[in-house]
Amino acid sequence: MQDSATLSYLVATDVGGTCTDTIVFGSDGGIHIGKALSTPPDFAHGVLASIESAATPMGLTLEDLLSRTHLFVHGSTVVDNAVLTRDGARTGFITTLGFEDTLHVTRGAYGRWAGLTEGQMKHPVKTDRAAPLVARDAVVGVTERTDCFGDEVLALDEASVAAAVRHLVQDKGVEAIAVSFLWSFLNPAHEARVREIVLREAPGTYVTLSSDIAPVPGEYERGSTAVINAYAGRITRDYLTDLATLLAARGYSGATMVMQGYGGLLPAAEAADRAVGMIECGPAAGVIGAKFLGDLMGDGDVIAADMGGTTFKVGVIQGGQLEYAREPMVDRFHYIAPKIEVVSIGAGGGSIVAVDPLTRLPSVGPRSAGARPGPVCYGLGGTEATLTDVMLLIGYMDPDQFLGGSITLDRAGAVAAVSRQVAEPLGLDPTAAAIGIYRIACAQITDLIREITVERGLDPRDFVLHAFGGTCGMLAAAFGEELSVRRVIIPYTASVNCAFGLISADIAHEYTTTRTLAAPADASEVNAIFAQMETKAKAQLNAEGIEPERQRMEWSVDLRYCRQVHEVTTQVHAATPLDTTGVARLVDDFEALYERKFGKGSAYREAGIEMTAFRLTARGLMPRPKLPTEEEGSADPSIALMGQRPILDLTIGGMATGRIYDFTRLRPGNEVTGPAVIHTPITTIALHTGHRARMDRWRNIVVTTDA
Amino acid sequence: MDPMTFSIIRHRLFRIVDEAVITLKHVSGSAITNEGHDLMVSLYRADGTLLMGGVGFLHHLTSAAEACKAIIRRFQGQIGEGDVYLLNDPYTAALHTSDIYLVAPIHHEGRLVAWSACFVHVTDIGAMNPGGFAPQAVDIYSEGFSSPGLKLLDRGEMRQDVLDTILNMVRSPEMVSLDLRSMIACCNVARDRMGALLTKYTAPVVDEACAALVEQSEQLFRARLRALPDGQWQSRQYLDVQGETARVLLTMTKTDDRLVFDFTGSDPQSRHSINCTKWAALGGLFAPLFPLLCYDITWNEGVIRPVEMIAPEGSIVNCTRPAPVSVATVGAIQSVNNAACTTIGKMLAASEAFRDQATAVWHANHFAIFKFGANQRGGYSIGILTETFAGAGGARSFADGVDIGGEIPNPISRMANVETVEGAFPIRYLFRRRAADSGGPGQFRGGTGGEMAIVQHRAPAGGIDYVISGKGARHPMSEGLAGGYPGAPNKYVWVHADADGAPGAPDRLETIPGKAEPVSWGVYPLRGRDALYVRWNGGGGYGDPIARDPNAVASDVTSGVVSSSAAKEIYGVALSSSGAVDDAATSVLRAAIRSARLAAPEAVQ
Amino acid sequence: MTRYILPTVTTDGIVCTCSACGFDLGPATAPWKAGAVARDLPLAVAGGPAYDTGFAGVFVRQFICPGCATLLDTETASAGDAALDDRLPLS
Repeated sequence: MQDSATLSYLVATDVGGTCTDTIVFGSDGGIHIGKALSTPPDFAHGVLASIESAATPMGLTLEDLLSRTHLFVHGSTVVDNAVLTRDGARTGFITTLGFEDTLHVTRGAYGRWAGLTEGQMKHPVKTDRAAPLVARDAVVGVTERTDCFGDEVLALDEASVAAAVRHLVQDKGVEAIAVSFLWSFLNPAHEARVREIVLREAPGTYVTLSSDIAPVPGEYERGSTAVINAYAGRITRDYLTDLATLLAARGYSGATMVMQGYGGLLPAAEAADRAVGMIECGPAAGVIGAKFLGDLMGDGDVIAADMGGTTFKVGVIQGGQLEYAREPMVDRFHYIAPKIEVVSIGAGGGSIVAVDPLTRLPSVGPRSAGARPGPVCYGLGGTEATLTDVMLLIGYMDPDQFLGGSITLDRAGAVAAVSRQVAEPLGLDPTAAAIGIYRIACAQITDLIREITVERGLDPRDFVLHAFGGTCGMLAAAFGEELSVRRVIIPYTASVNCAFGLISADIAHEYTTTRTLAAPADASEVNAIFAQMETKAKAQLNAEGIEPERQRMEWSVDLRYCRQVHEVTTQVHAATPLDTTGVARLVDDFEALYERKFGKGSAYREAGIEMTAFRLTARGLMPRPKLPTEEEGSADPSIALMGQRPILDLTIGGMATGRIYDFTRLRPGNEVTGPAVIHTPITTIALHTGHRARMDRWRNIVVTTDA
Repeated sequence: MDPMTFSIIRHRLFRIVDEAVITLKHVSGSAITNEGHDLMVSLYRADGTLLMGGVGFLHHLTSAAEACKAIIRRFQGQIGEGDVYLLNDPYTAALHTSDIYLVAPIHHEGRLVAWSACFVHVTDIGAMNPGGFAPQAVDIYSEGFSSPGLKLLDRGEMRQDVLDTILNMVRSPEMVSLDLRSMIACCNVARDRMGALLTKYTAPVVDEACAALVEQSEQLFRARLRALPDGQWQSRQYLDVQGETARVLLTMTKTDDRLVFDFTGSDPQSRHSINCTKWAALGGLFAPLFPLLCYDITWNEGVIRPVEMIAPEGSIVNCTRPAPVSVATVGAIQSVNNAACTTIGKMLAASEAFRDQATAVWHANHFAIFKFGANQRGGYSIGILTETFAGAGGARSFADGVDIGGEIPNPISRMANVETVEGAFPIRYLFRRRAADSGGPGQFRGGTGGEMAIVQHRAPAGGIDYVISGKGARHPMSEGLAGGYPGAPNKYVWVHADADGAPGAPDRLETIPGKAEPVSWGVYPLRGRDALYVRWNGGGGYGDPIARDPNAVASDVTSGVVSSSAAKEIYGVALSSSGAVDDAATSVLRAAIRSARLAAPEAVQ
Repeated sequence: MTRYILPTVTTDGIVCTCSACGFDLGPATAPWKAGAVARDLPLAVAGGPAYDTGFAGVFVRQFICPGCATLLDTETASAGDAALDDRLPLS
């Protein structure tokens, strides 16, 4: 044991919509967890409270902990929140003359239906676009034009740019200006000149150029990205500055790293200018955490499922690789930035269960009782039955032992609510109704996961499922069986998985160059494109103090079949710089990947193949935390057996006597068979007949189904 | 049956359609399928009746049911496991030859238990003009390959001779082959997933759930109809081909829990390819009916049962062979969509309880413009101008229509980015934006349409060509509701460049130098410094324009979607030089409009 | 009982009335439009330049309440086409 005075710490804090989670890693291998409520819009206070809640049980003050912390890693929902609550800067938009409506018409109906459920899409009379972030009268078109080869067709009319800037700032009171011209990703000269003019005419205005923030084709999405970044830019910068000041005042003097939606870290100063990068970085960190565990346990194919109070989120890791979202959105606005795909639906413990008065179909969500009033059984004023109330009825929650016995669950209230909302309308008894709702929740999740995997050409049977969040454990063994996943894992760190992901990430910079080359292209041409990006990337990493031996340059290329729309980002596996064989292998890999993703016979080789974008991920490797392990011992779990009570056993289709186990008393190697439940401090793991759960040496619970 | 199992099976059927759609889009990879969402996948029961309709081009849901039934009739006794059938004859069931149906039986334990059907608009079908829409066709024989039903896959094996015959008759055989492959993959996924469902829940249980689902939709739809007022509502649509005008007249009568759509009084079939067959007309009226009346009811056979269609034989909505129909989907079928949207909208608006479900007509006039020619990268490009999918929303009783907001029969379309088009074709856009004053005026304004102009740009052959067809540009078609105006009509202009005018930077039609010639039907070049200008229609308005909130008018003027002259003359709103509403002057203007309305009545038959 | 033919026009089964001002538009046995002021406006007159197609003979037909001058209904019409007939059953 190290002397506590010489211990140093790594602190990671993730600010989510409801909770702010902290995980502290000591240089002795100790793990400490903190949790506090998030405090929008001043999230920084919740961050301090969360860190303090981790420090206190360690016997440290916040100042003690921070003064011994060498690195602070952070993820925050601040940008999502600014957009969702329309709390950003008054923003203006300068674009090519004749195309001023591009953002407001969102590629036609796209912006009217994007982000809606299928049910909403089928009801077009009740659909509209989201209220725009830029008022139409704060959009100005200026004369300029570049063509599809990046050649200038019309020169930039600088006088009209200057007039536009003055008009926007003086007449329209804008604090931020986004600039996006047609084809600027091929030739950013006009946009760069506009920035100079803005800084001359209205110094202090926050400027985002589309060619900086998203140098990729597609003027609607690129312009939208620039606007979101400008809109949330000041808030992001102020937030990170304020947080640094607060931490410094409490004794912190180390570096701060900020999580990006693509699952990599940026130093806080750089993150401050890339607001769009922080969108959904918490869920991205969750996937990174799952990947870390998967790597540790030797599982390259992981479905990461997180189910808390309001939403169910899924990310997919395939062959150790993360999948980026093709059409990311915040609120209902599209943007382009590399972002780990995390799909969510409104299904969680707080989801209200009901029977549709019209169709008489029972359903779970998407309405939610949230944290307040919450489920009926919490006794906090909730009157509508939720999925959590259903879980109580089928024996998955112990009325007297919830949250360590701090509140007694109101079973009678839950029974009455489920009866009223589901059982009576359907003519069932409350238990039968609850069992039915449980089956429906499992089926909905099964269908969602199937859709997400099929969308990527994957088969869930090849995957391991990680279950995170307070509600997931009660369902995971059941829907995991229906999906026929290899096994279900409820990780030891499940309650703070996003914060855990923060400490398992690397520094990463993403660079993209858009150019169209017929494949197989000349290797020297490809190498030249990457060389330019690598030079930039190395300088950046050097400046961040990352020594060359910790620098990794990962190449990937977007390829597609000519006349088809699907582009596939294909990793370069060959040694770089590439030779002719390396390029050939890249094209082969693309073809294999394409058929895997889009199905047999989908490749249209006759039209030829082209490379459309070149992507460099420049990594600065961070030290990985070493998780403590314990040798696996006897399989006998009786030391943790607390008793038995009736629980739902889906395999037999009804209630059965289940054994009840206490997670904290289980030892690595112990095996529990269904019907049983394991109560952990944050969730319950429900096992049906045929399910076998084992605690592994990291204290993860691994569930398999007997053949 | 057990409500929980019923709920799970219903959800899973829905997801099966979804998965099949994903597969279709993935394998096809074409722009029209992926961007325009010009596709459809649905499940049918063993007898070919609609079980679960997906979100796609909705006028196909009933036609594909008829395609299933036609295949059942033709191949009775020879339908094997793994078979896939092709049908694209409009006189049998299809809408037009280029929308190919693939229909596949789904067997379980050796018994035929269901069908899946899908369509995409194939790249070419060998009609007179490339792309499928053939304005120069004179009869069905000049509209390319057409089959009333053939077996394409026999027990999972491709009939290569049949496939080769089809591909031998089309312009872009590789792309058409890919289109067919995508549909086959789609059928396979539907079959596999249905198989898994049947295995898990057993065929009798699934069949019981399917029957219950149809029964439930019928009961719910009939109950909804009973909640709506009885009455008769009429609507009329015009189609114009170079001065030859045809009418579609619709009388919709709702009695208790039944709806009759009667097209008696519509004009005889045209010599042009704008006609549609009766199955197409039926699909055309159901396309708006599903989302307008059954937004919360599963789209299946149960919704079809309470509806009857009367379409006089030999009319433009029930043409007889060999009348040409290749433009039907943007011709008479869309007229039927629009006419049905109007009568349904009137019926909903006549009910205080359902008034908020009523809508004026959305984007009523598709323009099928297919560009084709050598491109700037040494290849050849062909494709539809996706702005036709951009549309315009009709106004509602509580809100304006959505500007460039799509259309009802295809609820989730989108248009391509300018950069996508310019990257694929040797053309350059001069502008693309909302078209001022195109939204039908009303208390709630129709959504605007758009306007755009293109010129050739660095085209190796000096330019490209395009096929244009549709319903012409002489009539507004997005009808208003409750006193709202129709949206402004489409407009297509070929600007012949002056011999040596300076190129400049025109950003609207008036500043493009040259001589304007209207075009609407046929094949045209786009060469040299000539420009093609297209404006597409806005949505219909709702309510009296002079009842519109003057501040909403002022905001429309600020945004450039309503001109100040329209604000004054149509809406009766006076604006100060700063753009603010002048209340006193507005009252005067509106009083003057009221007086003028009553001043000089003209007789109307 | 008052029922709507359109949001702008009601009927009690005996007469049709303007739903804004209650003006009597005539007996329910006849089309309500018979009791309204009707006018055919050439497209460009009705909607301004955006509606100007360069072709005569197409109109925005308007039906106006003689009592309060509210625009009750519009239809696109070619010259000579009969007015659309919307009606409810008499009882």
